[in-house]
Amino acid sequence: MQLSKLALGAALALVGLLPVPSHAADKITVTDITGRKVEVKAPVEKVILGEGRQMYFVATLDTDQPFKRVVGWRDDLQKADLDGYKDYLAKYPQIDKIPTFGGFKEGTFDVEQAVSLKPDVILLNIEAKTATDDAKLIEKLAKIDIPVVFVDFREKPFENTDASMRLIGKLFGKEARAEEFIAFRKAQIDLVTERLAKANPPKPVVMVERAAGYSDDCCMSFGNENFGKFVEVAGGQNLAAKIIPGTFGVVNPEQIIASNPDQVIVTGSNWELYVPGGAWIGVGSGADKAKARDKLAALMKRPAYTGVKAVRDNQVHAIWHQFYNSPYQFVAIQAMAKWLHPDLFKDVDPEATMKTLYERFLPVPYKTGYWVSLTDKD
Amino acid sequence: MPKGRGAYRALVQRKKLVLLALSLVLVLSVIADLGLGPARYTMREVVLALMGSSEVSLQISVVIWDIRMPVALMAVVVGAALSAAGAQMQTILNNPLASPFTLGISAAASFGASIALVFGVGILPWAIDYVVSVNALLMAMAAALFIHFMSQKRGVTVETIVLLGITLVFTFNALLALVQYLASEQALAAVVFWTMGSLTRATWPKLAITAAVMAISLPLSMRRAWALTALRLGDDKAASFGVNVRWLRLETMMIISLLAAVPVAFVGTIGFIGLVGPHIARMLVGEDQRYFLPASVLSGATILSLTSVISKSIVPGTIFPIGIITALVGVPFLFSLIMSSRRRSW
Repeated sequence: MQLSKLALGAALALVGLLPVPSHAADKITVTDITGRKVEVKAPVEKVILGEGRQMYFVATLDTDQPFKRVVGWRDDLQKADLDGYKDYLAKYPQIDKIPTFGGFKEGTFDVEQAVSLKPDVILLNIEAKTATDDAKLIEKLAKIDIPVVFVDFREKPFENTDASMRLIGKLFGKEARAEEFIAFRKAQIDLVTERLAKANPPKPVVMVERAAGYSDDCCMSFGNENFGKFVEVAGGQNLAAKIIPGTFGVVNPEQIIASNPDQVIVTGSNWELYVPGGAWIGVGSGADKAKARDKLAALMKRPAYTGVKAVRDNQVHAIWHQFYNSPYQFVAIQAMAKWLHPDLFKDVDPEATMKTLYERFLPVPYKTGYWVSLTDKD
Repeated sequence: MPKGRGAYRALVQRKKLVLLALSLVLVLSVIADLGLGPARYTMREVVLALMGSSEVSLQISVVIWDIRMPVALMAVVVGAALSAAGAQMQTILNNPLASPFTLGISAAASFGASIALVFGVGILPWAIDYVVSVNALLMAMAAALFIHFMSQKRGVTVETIVLLGITLVFTFNALLALVQYLASEQALAAVVFWTMGSLTRATWPKLAITAAVMAISLPLSMRRAWALTALRLGDDKAASFGVNVRWLRLETMMIISLLAAVPVAFVGTIGFIGLVGPHIARMLVGEDQRYFLPASVLSGATILSLTSVISKSIVPGTIFPIGIITALVGVPFLFSLIMSSRRRSW
């Protein structure tokens, strides 16, 4: 008994000391979200994340050791989602040592630093494509055998989330895990869409304010994609759908009064590192809900929301902004569906869905606080 | 010389008529700005709301008083301030291309604001609500003071001031670019929007401050109108009239920096008003500062007010960044004015 334990310990120590054998150096060809065929040595062992928030999907696949492949990342997770970052930092204190990069889109990505980290693959968001094309970065990296793969959870989340998850699953050698996540996500979305298709209730008009209180400008919103689309899927009518041509844009404050929305949903996150003490609503992991509601109520005192039906009826909600850039957006859809059609989704508990997501797929403990409504009591 | 006097009177009469006509266009434009918007109200409703009648709903009065009115008036005041700053700058620098932008005051203000936006650190962190505006203002003032200090030291010449201004423009633009590189995507969007200029940030307190700046600086400038007119004849001539040229320039520069910085601090970078406004005024009434200054103020206010109407009409429901329109409308406007003008206006 003792001996075998010792032997096991010695064996483990040896494994730890020995360089990881590159037994799985098979090259596979994957098609990324932009339609490029890319050859990658899979499963990959070293990954550079073009955006720190790509951890949202990495963690669902590598739940045991989410950072084992991450050799470099952009510093945006900490800045854009301070509470989420702290959750990970508490469990994995080494993550503040991971080398950080600038953005590809801004042209501040240091290729030399990337090369020195010898990644097997660099994962980039699709919106960085134009910039990388301009700089011929992909060609440069290809010469030294570093493939670039594009994924997308933000520009067209409904078309690309499953494909992106499958793609990453393939790269990580975690295809079954990816399928598990995809099935879970689909079941949760189907729950909403099937019931809506059957009941076909009238669609309330919804104003989605993007990053409300982040600046003085009123009011940033979404066109037909992202949160704009979430609203439609959740059985609502997006106020800005016909006004904003692209995914993101600004609505004339007067338009909100003119359209008189039935529901108002604002997005927020802990942006203490961007705008300290700002009027933004810091919903997210473990957020102070009472404080969030106070800030939400204060934001509704802006002229653009005067006498609007949603405010009169107290149908005002705040939701975690980062749902717009992660594969977790299905939880947002459930929460929104319940706000828009409370009777139809009486038995649906988005909070439980979020909890299940954490318990089944994420390494850190779930903390409530990803959304609040003015009518909440807790 | 009764004939000369008659001609002079006719000239003055004509200039006064031009000022009157400009005022009329401005009033019409402001009415259009108040009357138009995605919430379609009748003229009667608008007028009733303006009179504070209890007949109209709270929503209408909020739309008129809290959404349309601050923007409409801000357009007038900012247009007036920028144009007045540009007019005086062109006069004292003796340079047709001078405007708050040439001296780097706007660039400095942009830089100050972007720091606040991106890093969230105000130079005055306790004034959190106005951190962006205050930062912009401080930077703009610092740039103006720097120019003053340097030009005083080395003996004020027109060329040194312009050159100093250009170096400041380059410096602050580079710093702004640096800040943008370091910015996150959300902050970047805010910075970009801010550098394009937007009247939607207008609020009553900001409007009051900008209006107060105008109320203080315009009479000061008007009192020196004759001296500024003399300056246009050349420094030596002005000096021979008893004008303290050096002092006049410095004083005017201080007024200009205030006039230019406050609007930039509150509504972002709105270009071309400070350049086009004075040029239109000069073509209409000539160089006599007694008429040139008010005409610049009126034409600047009118242009920005019209632009405000256009900016919310292009795509109903959204507001086009106003700086884009002032550039798109301002450039061809200036171009056509220059080309069609028979006499050389400079």
